[in-house]
Amino acid sequence: MKIYTGSGDRGKTSLFSGERVAKNNLRTEAYGDLDELNSCLGALTAALGESHQSIAEIRQIQSDLFHIGARLATTPGSPSAAALDAFDEQKSRYLETAIDRMDQHLPPLKGFILPGGRMTAALAHVARTVCRRAERHVVGLSEDKTTGQTPDAYQAVLVYLNRLSDYLFVLARFCNHLAGETDILWSK
Amino acid sequence: MEDVIYDTKLLERRPLSDNTFEAIFSRPAGFEFTAGQRIRLIHGGLERDYSLANAPDEAVLVLCIRQVAAGRFSTLLSSIPVGTGFTFSGPHGYFVFRASARSPVFVATGTGVAPFTAMARSSVSAFTLLHGVRQAGDCYYATLFRTKARRYVVCLSEEDPSVAGMFHGRVTDYIASQLEPDRYDFYLCGRGEMIRDVTWLVDDRFPGSMVYTEIFY
Repeated sequence: MKIYTGSGDRGKTSLFSGERVAKNNLRTEAYGDLDELNSCLGALTAALGESHQSIAEIRQIQSDLFHIGARLATTPGSPSAAALDAFDEQKSRYLETAIDRMDQHLPPLKGFILPGGRMTAALAHVARTVCRRAERHVVGLSEDKTTGQTPDAYQAVLVYLNRLSDYLFVLARFCNHLAGETDILWSK
Repeated sequence: MEDVIYDTKLLERRPLSDNTFEAIFSRPAGFEFTAGQRIRLIHGGLERDYSLANAPDEAVLVLCIRQVAAGRFSTLLSSIPVGTGFTFSGPHGYFVFRASARSPVFVATGTGVAPFTAMARSSVSAFTLLHGVRQAGDCYYATLFRTKARRYVVCLSEEDPSVAGMFHGRVTDYIASQLEPDRYDFYLCGRGEMIRDVTWLVDDRFPGSMVYTEIFY
């Protein structure tokens, strides 16, 4: 079966809401970041192994990112928006619970730490930085006045990405901690 | 989340043309869908996606099948005894009608017309349908579309001067030469090449239009 049509060969793509846009459009940049973030999480889960206690949690996050991606690929208020699954701040509560659970096992943070340590921790830091880039692009999208969207169209997504960055930071530390690795503090 | 698997049974085959037929399946309790969506039909280790051609409120499920010599599932469906059990998952996909202020233009090649059949059999009307077929006998569902469409054009790709009342050429030829400049909602279902060519035409000639696609292979 051929999965390609070639309709994007001239640098445009179709949004979920049907518009034809350039592939470097703000919206495609934003959901492209999510795609990259999801792939980083895939690499992280591969490095962690199926038996790691955070696997189910990360898979849930990967699924959430698909929902967010669909939302970012849809112009708010368009007929297609009605087909989107609800995405509210409850998703962020899930991350907060996970952060708190991991954090209680970690030594107090005494300064900036260098991203790295075990491979799993390093991958979590890479995912965190991609998540921050996605967040920056969504901020740009939420400030775009040309689409007629309401100011809070992406509020739940912004909260989620902000919390997910925190989650990935703590997860990186947690991975090192479980492996007996000590955080390397930044020294001036 | 895992797909829900439903049991179904082949109830009947109804010929549509020389090499195309409707496969009618029983509708399991609890299965709901929106016109335009697909199911993934499963049998004997094979599985294949088919768009449903019936309206969501009908008592059976209808698939539009073109028998392809190299197509294992279409060959199976054309020969397996009526009454045989199958399973399926679904509904899949987002190729559903989205009402807007723009005029809808449905473009299909061959059995890619199935999702538009489902839409026309439900509440969707006043659309333009361009149906690309090889031979005049392949314009199945013509009666339905003449009733429901604002404009229904069969685009005949094989040269046959004896056939009147059809557009001679591909759907892309019709769009390029006959469709008035405007903003439309294009719904494309068919082979990848058609989807690519129509999408590029939309980019070049119908800026501001929406494009929704479903590859039918």
